[in-house]
Amino acid sequence: MSDLLRLRDMDVGDPRREQRLEDIRREAERRGKLQVVSTRLAGAPFPQASPDTGYYGIPLLKQPPWTWEIPLYFFVGGAAGAAAVIGAIADYTGADRELVQHARWIAAAGSVISPALLIADLGRPERFLAMLRVFKPQSPMSVGVWTLLGFSSGAAAAAFAGFLSDRYGPSLPVKVLENAGQAASMLFGLPFSNYTGVLIGATAIPVWNHNAGYLPLHFAASGLGAAVGILELMGHRKSRALQALGLGAAIFESWQGLRIESRSHDHLDPLKHGPSGLITRTGGVLSGPLPTLLRVASLFGGERRSSKLRKWASWSAIAGSLITRFAWVHAGHVSARDWRLPLKDRSPAHQQLQGSH
Amino acid sequence: MPGLGTSFGRGGATTAQQDLSNADAILIMGSSMAENHPVGFQWVMEAREKGATIIHVDPRFTRTSAMADIWVPLRAGSDIIFLGALVHYVLENSREFRDYVVSYTNASTILRKDFRDTEDLDGFFSGWNAEKEKYDPESWLYEGAPKKDSSKAPGHSEIGGGHGKDRGGEAQDAGKYESDPTLQHPRCVFQVLKRHFERYTPEMVERYCGVPQDVFLKAAEAFTSASGPAKTAAICYAVGWTQHSKGVQIIRTAAILQLLLGNIGRPGGGILALRGHASIQGSTDIPTLYDILPGYLPMPFFETDSHKLKAYFKKHSARTGLWSGFDKYFISLMKAYYGDGATKDNHWGFHWLPRVTGDHSHFGYWLDMADGKLDGLFVMGQNPAVGASNGRLERKALSKLKWLVVRDMVETETASFWYASPEVERGELSPETIGTEIFLFPAAGTAEKEGTFTNTQRLLQYREKAVDPPGDARSETWFMYHLGARLKRKATNDPRPRNEGLRALTWNYSTHGKHAEPSAEEVLKEINGYHVASRQQLTHIKDLQNDGSTACGAWIYCGVFPKADYNRALERKSKDLLGHGWGFAWPNDCRIIYNRASARPDGQPWSERKKLVWWDPEKKEWTGLDNADYEKTTSPDTPENVRQGHGTEALGGARPFTLHPDGLGWLYVPSGLKDGPLPTHYEPLESLVENPLYTQQTNPAANRKKRPDNPYAAPHDARFPFILTTYRLTEHHTAGGMSRHLSHLSELQPELFTEVSPELAAELGLQHGDWATIMTPRSVIEARVMVTTRMRPLRINGRTVHQVGLPYHWGYGGQVKGDVVNDLLVISEEPNVRIMETKALVCNIVPGPRPRKREARDRLNSYEGQHA
Amino acid sequence: MSVTAFLTDSTLCIGCKACEVACKEWNGISEDGLDWSGFSYDNTEAVGASTWRHVKFVEEAPLPGFGGNAAEHNSWSFSSDVCKHCEQAGCLEACPTGSIVRTEFGGVFIQPDICNGCGYCVTACPFGVVERDQKDGRAFKCTFCYDRQKVGLQPACAKACPTESIKFGEIEDLRREAQSRVEELHRRGMDDAAIYDPLDTSVEGTHAFFIVRGDPRTYNLPPAPEVPTTYLKKSWRSSAIAAGLLLGGTLVAFLSDGNRSDGRGR
Ligand SMILES: Nc1nc2c(c(=O)[nH]1)N[C@H]1C(S)=C(S)[C@@H](COP(=O)(O)OP(=O)(O)OC[C@H]3O[C@@H](n4cnc5c(=O)[nH]c(N)nc54)[C@H](O)[C@@H]3O)O[C@H]1N2
Ligand SMILES: Nc1nc2c(c(=O)[nH]1)N[C@H]1C(S)=C(S)[C@@H](COP(=O)(O)OP(=O)(O)OC[C@H]3O[C@@H](n4cnc5c(=O)[nH]c(N)nc54)[C@H](O)[C@@H]3O)O[C@H]1N2
Ligand code: SF4
Ligand code: SF4
Ligand code: SF4
Ligand code: SF4
Ligand code: SF4
Ligand SMILES: [Mo]
Repeated sequence: MSDLLRLRDMDVGDPRREQRLEDIRREAERRGKLQVVSTRLAGAPFPQASPDTGYYGIPLLKQPPWTWEIPLYFFVGGAAGAAAVIGAIADYTGADRELVQHARWIAAAGSVISPALLIADLGRPERFLAMLRVFKPQSPMSVGVWTLLGFSSGAAAAAFAGFLSDRYGPSLPVKVLENAGQAASMLFGLPFSNYTGVLIGATAIPVWNHNAGYLPLHFAASGLGAAVGILELMGHRKSRALQALGLGAAIFESWQGLRIESRSHDHLDPLKHGPSGLITRTGGVLSGPLPTLLRVASLFGGERRSSKLRKWASWSAIAGSLITRFAWVHAGHVSARDWRLPLKDRSPAHQQLQGSH
Repeated sequence: MPGLGTSFGRGGATTAQQDLSNADAILIMGSSMAENHPVGFQWVMEAREKGATIIHVDPRFTRTSAMADIWVPLRAGSDIIFLGALVHYVLENSREFRDYVVSYTNASTILRKDFRDTEDLDGFFSGWNAEKEKYDPESWLYEGAPKKDSSKAPGHSEIGGGHGKDRGGEAQDAGKYESDPTLQHPRCVFQVLKRHFERYTPEMVERYCGVPQDVFLKAAEAFTSASGPAKTAAICYAVGWTQHSKGVQIIRTAAILQLLLGNIGRPGGGILALRGHASIQGSTDIPTLYDILPGYLPMPFFETDSHKLKAYFKKHSARTGLWSGFDKYFISLMKAYYGDGATKDNHWGFHWLPRVTGDHSHFGYWLDMADGKLDGLFVMGQNPAVGASNGRLERKALSKLKWLVVRDMVETETASFWYASPEVERGELSPETIGTEIFLFPAAGTAEKEGTFTNTQRLLQYREKAVDPPGDARSETWFMYHLGARLKRKATNDPRPRNEGLRALTWNYSTHGKHAEPSAEEVLKEINGYHVASRQQLTHIKDLQNDGSTACGAWIYCGVFPKADYNRALERKSKDLLGHGWGFAWPNDCRIIYNRASARPDGQPWSERKKLVWWDPEKKEWTGLDNADYEKTTSPDTPENVRQGHGTEALGGARPFTLHPDGLGWLYVPSGLKDGPLPTHYEPLESLVENPLYTQQTNPAANRKKRPDNPYAAPHDARFPFILTTYRLTEHHTAGGMSRHLSHLSELQPELFTEVSPELAAELGLQHGDWATIMTPRSVIEARVMVTTRMRPLRINGRTVHQVGLPYHWGYGGQVKGDVVNDLLVISEEPNVRIMETKALVCNIVPGPRPRKREARDRLNSYEGQHA
Repeated sequence: MSVTAFLTDSTLCIGCKACEVACKEWNGISEDGLDWSGFSYDNTEAVGASTWRHVKFVEEAPLPGFGGNAAEHNSWSFSSDVCKHCEQAGCLEACPTGSIVRTEFGGVFIQPDICNGCGYCVTACPFGVVERDQKDGRAFKCTFCYDRQKVGLQPACAKACPTESIKFGEIEDLRREAQSRVEELHRRGMDDAAIYDPLDTSVEGTHAFFIVRGDPRTYNLPPAPEVPTTYLKKSWRSSAIAAGLLLGGTLVAFLSDGNRSDGRGR
């Protein structure tokens, strides 16, 4: 309060004051802005609207309203979808029964958890039913919900029927159910494992829609890596097929990581800088380079060593996949908050056209 | 509004807001119309879109400035220099509308030899009485006009306020004057005017208003060139003019300008006083003021010429003009009050009226309250704890009451002062020790009751009740009626003579509903007036009689309810731009008053483009786009006979200002104003600047109400180096009772902020968005800092002067709270209307929040000692 | 039944906020928070779930220091923002429940009884208009006063506007009116006045276009908004490729795995 009680000797016309004001004026006229002690916001002592600052830098776009449920849903869906495909192919190619059954169980688990997560996001179960009023091809979320429905019923049926025939021996109706379910879970599992890439790609959020063309690929690989990882953790660490798939996914993820890092567009900033950047990079390393190295290493040396390394690779891929989904959603928030992007003169669409795709 | 009243005759806006769309230029000064009269502002926008030049003169760049073609930033409190310079510009370049000036104004009237101007006496007019601190205005009168009044100061009662001022009939027989139509006579008003404004030059404006000459000249050229036979320019003002220690004289300067340019009584011209609350015009017509009766009839004062009715009549009625009917208006009012109780023998109950014994204006009685001279107080529809200057004094005064009744729709700060005020925080007051018993009555809001508004353009609009008031909320009419009924009952049981008036009072309105709500229509019918015998409604002011055969609650409203089942205030069918068919404008549904002036003396329009009302030779009557504010059948060539004649007839056919005894617009006001016949620049009571024109720094007639708890900053007080001005925001309403309690308004302007220029911010280290503390000798408050180039320092006489802006809507109640800006202000009284100076003071501002509790208290007490 | 639109003419806006409040009153919208923003006189900042009409106070800073007595140096314009009711509406296309519909008046309307609060529309609006209400959980935005238009009333905001800055009427008439208005403004020397109506983008124009002076970006009006459906083709293509790779990859992986049938550790 001291300066409050201090009586400022500031008789108007005090020459020192006049001088100071003259300086301030001249500086302002010279630079077009004030940078004296009191000035806060860059370039001006007060917020200002302009073509480059937009409307006081207030974000033009709204942030996605989603919290933890949705990225988790992305992860589960990706893994479950891929697992269903693996299970089916394994079965058709006559791979051993337990692997098939385990893959089915993963898919089945996903088929239960996924809707649960969606409902959790909506708040009330009955709200989910509204989704089933219509089917809208142009709405990725609508397509996704119907895919989820087909997948869930298929996966559940396949796993349950498989369980029955293992337990009480094969019977025709069970066999039919098992095959039908398996076929369905594979057919729906293919899109289900990556449609979430379309879901966020086809939005107004710059960091998402600038990557619309490849998010599905990325999410598919990430899901595959996770599915393989889970299966291997369930014990299938000898399967060469899984090894191949895991390696493929990891290599693909490594490549896409490089791809992002190598390109510089300010709409990619959230993926590189700040907290969202850190998370993205962590997720990237865990799902790409690290598992690749571990798996390559596991190709050499004894069985126990190989199994150990594959175990770690699996953990890494799963964690990577999970973190990556959170990273993308987080990046979406950051991107929406960045008021500069939507004010860019050329639209994302244009940039995509001559973008390196 | 004596500013307009003394100049033209009536204290009301001369035109309608719709008519602004006819203007070729509009000067908005002392008002932020776009912010505070947004709906009316649509017609300013219309005018702008039609090509009119909009000029806004304001210390701040406001939403109004943003709409204007020319914004002129000026130093708060320097308006008379600016306007005086406009008058000077007109006279200098012979821009006046000669024919109009010669025929319709008192420019040719010759003044007495003993009149001395402020230019001669260094800031005083002749007649200044130093120890009484007031004028003896006798020397201001017209040459040849016999002094009428017996008392020493004709037209200036010893005591009492300015609303009951001389309306032209008191001091002299103003009809008998000498004149020089050539305007050459050295003592004719025109020449006096020229000399008076000689020194109000563009240079003066640049140096003391802070307005560069080229900007001033641009504005002057735009405004004056938009006036003449084929063009008109309008002026809009509000409290940016009135709330100064010389407010009335600022408005007078505008009146002079408009009369010289011939802009009064003509379409697209006029002076639009933008009034405040929805019916504030109504509450001066049917006054909530202490010194006038309905229709601007003066309250009798406690002085010799009010002892007898004859003396009272003699004093206040004029021989010529509409005020010759003074006795008719008054007796009809008495008949409305006392019915059969008012008879010729008891002087119509004149002696039952209370007499004004002193200054009973808001500040007058509030200071009495502070000194413990008041027991109880009704506060209805007001929130002085926030709205009135020197809030600390105001609130402490409340604690001296025995009882306080507050009728409001919310718990205002006035009702909650005893536990929530800053005085409680500072430990100056404590709920335990306050003896005041407080009754908070819930009031019905506008939509919850019926009745009329009289709006800014004298327009009466009756509205029906939309919904029932909630709970125990009741209307004002209900409260007043039932309170009155109880008092009458007490009076009948108490035979003392003092109760005679109360017993005689007619109080027989029919009631309806389960709460016995009195009929507002019946009240309006009574205000309109009726023939006592037949109970027929009066249809026109001309029906009024002085023999007790007519009763009328307010003569100016006569005609609003012409038939028992015909309420013109209820009409909602506009027939034309001026809105005839929608409501009723007093007088006689004239939308633009003095409109006889819209035609040449010979009765034909000055120009086709600007025709409004003209003489129809066939029909032998005045016709046109508005009802003539003139005797309908008096032909233009009717000769005047103001020297001998009587009544309005004496004015003849070409004297538009029918309330003045001479029927003319007054450039010079011979009597009626307490601070001079001509406007003169004085500095605000607190100012950083020396009066450039006179050694007399401030308005000598202004009342400072100086006392230890109402201290002033000394001239050039180094502690207070900045100019402080206060104002409104669109988002809130006045003291906030109607806005700070509503989320949809509160969220739009949630916090008190102070507007400062980047230069001042840079100089003092004020950070945008941070807190600043603003100090005056009265108090210390805090506000958020808004740094903006809409505020800018001015070069005044080679020095830089900063202005600090504060909106005044916040208080310690409601959804959004903030410090009370009025705590900073000082109680002062403009001499004529006794309004406080809210627009130009001095302050200091420093970064950081204000001191609290004890620290704050000691600080304020330290101020109280050393007041200048 | 005519197709209607808003023409909001900022050159006529006096910043009285009557539109903003009228909208809130008519639609009974909840309070928007009582925080002081410091952004000129704008404390509600943007359209959203609890503000469907929003008045912007565009205070473009002239050179500070010029202050002095130079009256010229200032610019303060006001503009009332609202849902654009896009011809190609991202929100409408994205809505999985069919809650968002195109009304007979051409407006884009959220049926509150159907909206399930998935929030997908929020990510799909290129103008950042629609928003999910924290408490209620559903998405809200301007209804184009569908209820009022149904009974032949004009929208509350337009009704409340004292200066006809908000014009409401037949879309074709208003388009023409906008044209002539801008031409007139140019004649009057305001050559920086322009219509904002992204006709040449995938949004294909709006039912709420604006006349603003200067660069629209100053008003947070995006220069090139795109309806997100434009990204669908690319996305689904990538999705198909991904599916193909997954299927093929898995097949190859298992077929080429010699000892797949006993590849289990014990
Ligand atoms: N939204 C809204 N409307 C209102 C009200 C409200 O509170 N809110 N109040 C109503 C009431 S009661 C009234 S009386 C009217 C008042 O209406 P206004 O008189 O327009 O209200 P203010 O904002 O107090 O003052 C107007 C302008 O005067 C400027 N000013 C300050 N000092 C000076 C000076 O020395 N000279 C000149 N020329 N200008 C100066 C201020 O900067 C301000 O912009 O508004 C009425 N309308
Ligand atoms: N510093 C500074 N001070 C000023 C001014 C300024 O410009 N600067 N302006 C001055 C001016 S012009 C004015 S008018 C005053 C205003 O000052 P006040 O009149 O004291 O303030 P308001 O908030 O208008 O008070 C009106 C109260 O009436 C209540 N009310 C509304 N309708 C009804 C009704 O039907 N019945 C009843 N019983 N109550 C009702 C409202 O809730 C509100 O609380 O402020 C003055 N003070
Ligand atoms: S509140 Fe009433 S008086 Fe004030 S601007 Fe609005 S309509 Fe006019
Ligand atoms: S502006 Fe946004 S919310 Fe409005 S219609 Fe267009 S996309 Fe939908
Ligand atoms: S939040 Fe409601 S309106 Fe928006 S997309 Fe989901 S269902 Fe449709
Ligand atoms: S159209 Fe209706 S809902 Fe939309 S902004 Fe206007 S008032 Fe609000
Ligand atoms: S009501 Fe009209 S003038 Fe007022 S802010 Fe809204 S658009 Fe502007
Ligand atoms: Mo007022």
